[in-house]
Amino acid sequence: MRGPARISAGVLTSASRPVRFSFDGRQMQGLTGDTLASALLANGVQLTGRSFKYHRARGIVTAGPEEPCALVDLIGECGREPNQLATTVALHEGLTAESQNRWPSLKFDALSINDLFSRFLPAGFYYKTFMAPGWAWERVYEPLIRRAAGLGRLEPRVGDEADPAETVHDHADVLVIGAGAAGLAAAHRLGAGGLRVILAESEAVLGGGTLNDARWDLWRTTLTARLAAMECVTCLPGTTVLGAYGHGVFGALETLAPPEAAKFGGLRERLRVIRVRSVLLAQGALERLIAFPGNDLPGVMLAGAALSYLRRFGVIVGRQPVFFVNNDEAYEAVFALAVAGIRVAGVIDVRAHSRAAERARAMGLPVHSGALVHSARGGRGLRRVRIGGLEGRPRADIEADCLLVSGGYSPVTAVASQLGAQLLWQEVLAAFTAQLSGASARAAGAAHGVFGLAAAARDGRAAAAEIASALGATMPAADEERDLPADTPATPITALWEVRGRGKAFVDLQNDVTSEDVRLAHREGYEHVEHMKRFTTHAMATDQGRIGGLLGSAVLAQARGVPIATVGQSRPRPFAQPVPFAALAGGEVRGHYKPKRRLPLHEWHESNGARFVPTGLWLRPLVYSLKAGWEPVLEEARAVRRTVGISDVSTLGKIDVQGGDAAQFLDFLYANTFSTLAIGRARYGIMLREDGLLFDDGTTTRLSAGHFVVTTTTANATAVLEHMEFHRHTSCAHLDVIVTDVADQWAQFALAGPRAREVVAQLAPDLDLSNEAFPFMAAGRATLAGIAGRLFRISFSGELAYELAVPAAHALTLWTAALTAGAPFGIRPYGLDALNTLRIEKGHVTSAELNGNTSAQDLGFERMLKKHGDFIGRTLSRRAALGARGRLQLVGVRPIERTQRLRNGLQLVTPKARQLSLGYVTSSTPSVELEGWVGLALLAGGRQRIGERLTALSPVHDEATEVQIVSPHMLDAENQRVRA
Amino acid sequence: MCGPERLEWAGCPADVLQLAALREGEEALAEIAARRGCSLPAPGRLNVAAGGMALCVRPGRWLLLCAPAAAGELAAGWSGECDGCAAVVDLSSSLSVLQLAGAATREMLARGCRLDLARQAFPEGSAAATVMAQVSVILAALPSGMLLLTPATTARHFREWLAHTGKPFGLTARSDVTVASLHGDSR
Repeated sequence: MRGPARISAGVLTSASRPVRFSFDGRQMQGLTGDTLASALLANGVQLTGRSFKYHRARGIVTAGPEEPCALVDLIGECGREPNQLATTVALHEGLTAESQNRWPSLKFDALSINDLFSRFLPAGFYYKTFMAPGWAWERVYEPLIRRAAGLGRLEPRVGDEADPAETVHDHADVLVIGAGAAGLAAAHRLGAGGLRVILAESEAVLGGGTLNDARWDLWRTTLTARLAAMECVTCLPGTTVLGAYGHGVFGALETLAPPEAAKFGGLRERLRVIRVRSVLLAQGALERLIAFPGNDLPGVMLAGAALSYLRRFGVIVGRQPVFFVNNDEAYEAVFALAVAGIRVAGVIDVRAHSRAAERARAMGLPVHSGALVHSARGGRGLRRVRIGGLEGRPRADIEADCLLVSGGYSPVTAVASQLGAQLLWQEVLAAFTAQLSGASARAAGAAHGVFGLAAAARDGRAAAAEIASALGATMPAADEERDLPADTPATPITALWEVRGRGKAFVDLQNDVTSEDVRLAHREGYEHVEHMKRFTTHAMATDQGRIGGLLGSAVLAQARGVPIATVGQSRPRPFAQPVPFAALAGGEVRGHYKPKRRLPLHEWHESNGARFVPTGLWLRPLVYSLKAGWEPVLEEARAVRRTVGISDVSTLGKIDVQGGDAAQFLDFLYANTFSTLAIGRARYGIMLREDGLLFDDGTTTRLSAGHFVVTTTTANATAVLEHMEFHRHTSCAHLDVIVTDVADQWAQFALAGPRAREVVAQLAPDLDLSNEAFPFMAAGRATLAGIAGRLFRISFSGELAYELAVPAAHALTLWTAALTAGAPFGIRPYGLDALNTLRIEKGHVTSAELNGNTSAQDLGFERMLKKHGDFIGRTLSRRAALGARGRLQLVGVRPIERTQRLRNGLQLVTPKARQLSLGYVTSSTPSVELEGWVGLALLAGGRQRIGERLTALSPVHDEATEVQIVSPHMLDAENQRVRA
Repeated sequence: MCGPERLEWAGCPADVLQLAALREGEEALAEIAARRGCSLPAPGRLNVAAGGMALCVRPGRWLLLCAPAAAGELAAGWSGECDGCAAVVDLSSSLSVLQLAGAATREMLARGCRLDLARQAFPEGSAAATVMAQVSVILAALPSGMLLLTPATTARHFREWLAHTGKPFGLTARSDVTVASLHGDSR
């Protein structure tokens, strides 16, 4: 049977398939189908961990994800993973687990001394105790507290490859959450009606409460088989719905069964994003704890959990159980254990009379009606239970090895709350139920406050019919109504939250919050349940107070002297259970973190020695050499200045603008005018933001009256496209214009240098490239190397230059032809570094200067702002502040001592006021045409300072360089070269 | 959607042309297209056209897919006729065209696609624009499988994502297919 406490075959375990595992170094055996918790219990392990604050001994309390105590470290291929719930971890061969929060061992934990000093450590003690000295908080107190508290240790394995992870998007008409009697019945009806259904069940098998009642085995197996055969129904066992995100979107985490995990390369969890038209909440109800002294001892467990361990895994949680109950449902565990031959030591029922108690008495079980458990006694495990009447002193001790508690059942309302449902107090249930509004969500079964499996199944069917009707589906007639095993009539619950006495009575086992802590919160003024939660940490962390949340509310209500309905419950937020970051990140990590955008000629650049630099998503050739230093860059730039170079500028944004109102549209988008641009000409343009600052620049070419091609900077390509589309549909909706992104369509190369014309002439032999026929800023369609393309006479380098564009599929043909044609002149490809060197020498700006803070006036573009006609940013570009003295203006800088280097970011100061920055160097490079380094800078009142000497400081490098402020146009200020 | 049992992807060299109706030009554009043997589909739909197909994922705009020709030839052919009623833009180099076929196509695409690709929601003849693997993708359901159009400069990234995601489904690459073959069952 694999374990001394396993007395029978469980519904979920496979007796013929043993599994070896270890806990705190002890080797044990369990069965396939076990959870770690059931296997530990089968092996008689009661003590599983130490508590968060007081380091009290703790054991297994529940049989599901609501578990507050049995958190363990799992040690496996992924390193050490803390805070894994023993109650949900599926047992597998070789599983290695360790208890948490103890030193040196679980049995003898040194910090259990905290428990003795607990009167000095009430809720919020650290806010008050560690007040002074102020410096000690970060250096002394916080490290000490962190070492003492906190659960588990994280030791992730760091490998070269990320663990597999994936996100799946699911769609359905209806998401049914919970596959108990209600969920199964509803999913079946909805599926029969032809609706697409996703049935998500957090347990590894479908069935919910029906798994605990043998009479329901046939119904369950029949229905699950039918569901599996329905093509429109997707059953997702092992899938917890994490939260509701509005508009029918739900997040869920699926824990993969071993065969599925193997198929997906060892994937453990899969994040599912589920989009549906309607949701049915059928997550059942969760059993509650009762607060009494010692209610946290190992051996104190929920009664329903004991039933689950017996039915599902064939494991008894004790041989001498005592029950402490206030409802008839809890007696199912009493009867099951008694029938299994376990001697029930006593049933303590707070109610004076109940049908279930009568049945128990009839079976000869010792039932103490109208009684209470005053305290649970023991050390590292329960030894006896002290009982007594509803009033007065305890009257007897009962020897016991486990105390099975049931304080009633709370319908699960977490997802409903996230959907905006109000919670309504139901006196008859002593619990809140969710009041869902609108047609898109319904609750059924115990989640709806309908108890009893048959009643839940009927409620599920009824909810399914309502949903189907709302979705316009036709349901076939139900045929399985009479098959349902009958529910046993029950006597209603009598609410019981707390038994006050000496000793700690916990309302939150995970955070060590006692009922006294809740009263302290109230005394301190934290009267609202959400304030109390934050003061005490009640109902936080992995279990979110599922079994004790209502207890805290009840104790607070009693302290405030108001009904519990007035206090309410703290609202649980997503996620419903801890989610590994890896599952949230999905596959988009490391190399897949963001897309890589590659040039049409990426492979050519790669095979010709290019070193790439990521710029945004692009990979751009920086320099065609693996040699470090500036020399390879300067060689490339020198080729452009002396003969000819070619650069791949395909990363520029390119936007096709067509339509009868295209010119008018561009006039509004740009600060300068394009309606006056002649066909076959290009013009440099600047675009402002609405706030009047510079947004982008680029050249625009008019191909025909109603056809323009716009180029943008690489950095702003997407932003400008979005800006255009936005205004096309809003402020310019009256204009007839079509905007199309053609950035990927066209490969574009800059051919620059004194010999550029000769190279282009060979590529376009039919074209007259003379200054008269094709002057500076001429542009148009051209056949280039036999390919229909476009030719622009524009320059970013200050040299005679052309940009050649062809459809990207033909990029290599043109590039190769250009290299061949340029070979006699020593043509060289040049990368981004050389391109920068050339443009800095010439004083052209790029994103370093178009940095979102500069105005047209700052960069010397004020004359481009058109005088007539409106344009985006016009009004605010005329703000007095943008013309104020002292604004940072574009200037050139050169070191006085020419051999000294400049750096981007150097702060410009006067020798007398070195603490006052007047501006900074935005771009810098060693020059090929001028001696030494040159730079561009943004300098306060810069144009008035041309000729001045300043100091350029780099505190980081401990450098001070004397520089001269010069015009930004450091090369060929008359533009003779570009017009050559 | 028919298609092979095994999951396969293939490149599909194609010329792509965007036709965007200018103001009050939609009717004239539809007539021109009809004369050229192409019926312009409604938004979200795809029509088989003479020598290729037309799909619409944005009101007033259509993408034509045809067998590859010389650079700009397809655009030139339409531009003259459409003058004044539509903006004609060649996107042949802008979009990389792939075909994905096999029984697990939709299941695999659900790893990256937020759209509902179930047969009842996205039957054959459907087309949509979306984002997958952080890049824009146009999807169209064909008898031969799923057609995917993705920007050329991120096509390698998308193919890598496809290969990685398709691995558990046994995705394999096969030789390029023609535009004409997309119309039919690839088996």
